[in-house]
Amino acid sequence: MADLIGLIWAGIISGCLYAMGAIGIVLIYKSSNVVNFAHGNLAGLSAFLVFGFTAGLFAEMAWGAAVLLTLVIMVAVMAVSYLLIAPLVFKSDLTSTIATLGVGLLAQGVTQLLFGSSVVALDLPLPSWRARLGPLHITAYDLAVLGTTMLAIGVLYLLIERTRIGIAFRAVSANPFASRVCGLSLRRVHLFSWVTAGLLGLVASLLIVPTTFLSSTSVASFMLQAFAAAVVGGFNSLPGAIVGGIFIGVIMNLLSFYLAAEFNNTYLLLTMLVVLNIFPKGLLAVRGGLRV
Amino acid sequence: MSSVITSSRDVSASAVQANQAAASARRRTAGLGIIGVLVLMALPLVAGGYWTFTLGLCFANAIAIISVSFLVRYGGEVSIGHGVFVAAGAYTVALVEKYLGLPLLVSLPIAACVGALLGVIFAFPSRHLSGIYLAVATMALALALPEVLLHFSSVTGGYEGVYVKLDALPGLSKELQRYYLPLAGLVSVSILLRHFRRSRQAAALMLSRTSPHAAESFGVRRSWARLSCMAMSAGIAAIAGALLSFSSSTVSPNSFTLWTSIFLLVGSVVSLYSLSMFGALIGGLFLTMMPMLLAGAGNWVPILYGAALLVVVLGFNALPEAWRNRLMGGQA
Repeated sequence: MADLIGLIWAGIISGCLYAMGAIGIVLIYKSSNVVNFAHGNLAGLSAFLVFGFTAGLFAEMAWGAAVLLTLVIMVAVMAVSYLLIAPLVFKSDLTSTIATLGVGLLAQGVTQLLFGSSVVALDLPLPSWRARLGPLHITAYDLAVLGTTMLAIGVLYLLIERTRIGIAFRAVSANPFASRVCGLSLRRVHLFSWVTAGLLGLVASLLIVPTTFLSSTSVASFMLQAFAAAVVGGFNSLPGAIVGGIFIGVIMNLLSFYLAAEFNNTYLLLTMLVVLNIFPKGLLAVRGGLRV
Repeated sequence: MSSVITSSRDVSASAVQANQAAASARRRTAGLGIIGVLVLMALPLVAGGYWTFTLGLCFANAIAIISVSFLVRYGGEVSIGHGVFVAAGAYTVALVEKYLGLPLLVSLPIAACVGALLGVIFAFPSRHLSGIYLAVATMALALALPEVLLHFSSVTGGYEGVYVKLDALPGLSKELQRYYLPLAGLVSVSILLRHFRRSRQAAALMLSRTSPHAAESFGVRRSWARLSCMAMSAGIAAIAGALLSFSSSTVSPNSFTLWTSIFLLVGSVVSLYSLSMFGALIGGLFLTMMPMLLAGAGNWVPILYGAALLVVVLGFNALPEAWRNRLMGGQA
């Protein structure tokens, strides 16, 4: 029993990170119908940039300054990635989705060129505080993840509910054509969702790295779980992404503890197939009628 | 009333003309195709072992690329997991040889069926949904495959893989078999697809792709169209895998990672989703030759492939519409 509670707790913690990745994917999909397969590689590149700025590869900065600088760079990188595929976005969802794979390959290649394919460790500046709460072991890392996720989701909620660009985002994801007729700039909304997604990806990858190691592919494979979370939650739903992320985090932990640990991707695949069979549009999707 | 009749006569007259033009164009491409095949058949007489080996692999890759293009053209979907269906074909051939001692010509049809079945299994849960679910599921499939292969290493040979040694055609040197069989496979797949394009089935799939609701009202169910499309595409991919394992004489988990699947998609884009033999060959050559030309610059390979993908997709999009239609052959 103590095992189970500990596993669920750890699952929720990593699930928060999958949720942050999934929110980025869903934001982009909702506003532009593009599935951004570059998400993981771009997030991986950003984690490496922080590593490069703190570990003396490019510079030797304080952690906070390095993260701020990387945030600025990521805004530029995401904007450039969007502008690269922008000519395709209104033409064909399929082609623009394929183009994101090209962007992903570029990001992967740049990461390998700049940092090599070796494995590095990147720690967070956290106190080594830990506590026991009944069967739970709580570390400073857990609290940092929970706090950061809640902060990120809270800020995003306010952004979408209260600001002009957020209202525009909701309008565009509900009906792009009507929004355009009303004079909204779809491009600006797309750019908003790409940049926000990139920043969430940076935060998620920074937080995930201490539990694994950082290699040119580790963040990309972590993003598969984010994709699975988006599938489980329904690609169209932001709350679904959060629920899906936590669901994936918990179920992966349980399966790899009680069955066998080496089948992570297989479990993800099976979970997705089962969920798609039972809830065809994801856990939180509204089932709409068919329009001809 | 009479004006309607004359205009319909005009229409039919111009349709006849268009048909004749299309038929003569078809004859011309068929003629070029036959010449091309003859050249390729004569190539081993002048080229050395290295080239026959590489081109054999290239033909097999071209078939795999066709299978990805087929899914894009007839299903309007991306698969990032076609490496898995290729692997299914390759392992089927290797295992049939290892346990039953039967050569490629027997195991090839089995491989195609195994691939098609696997395709249906993975398309089934997402049969009512938009293609992104299929794309993500296939991506997970591609990542899951090496885990499964390594776990059942007593059957699959683990990291080492399995060897494919048996001759398929008696009386021909091994080297030439490894060249001619994939070539024969490529030619027959592209001829079959040429015929398929004019069948009712293809028309139904196209209708379902361009206008699912209209297709439903004609009795073509979207879920059926998606499943059959995936089955055919995965079957072709498995044929490619079977020939690939024969040509490279070994199969191992290393040759079927997520990258394999992504690179197949890159090849398909570079060939502009062509279902014809030469279109696919361009993609196959690009995939097989580029890493060799860039040997020692491994880190540049993703950049090169990514850039090629973007350049082709964006460049194609920037062309005037008439050119685009011409390049796509104005077909499916």
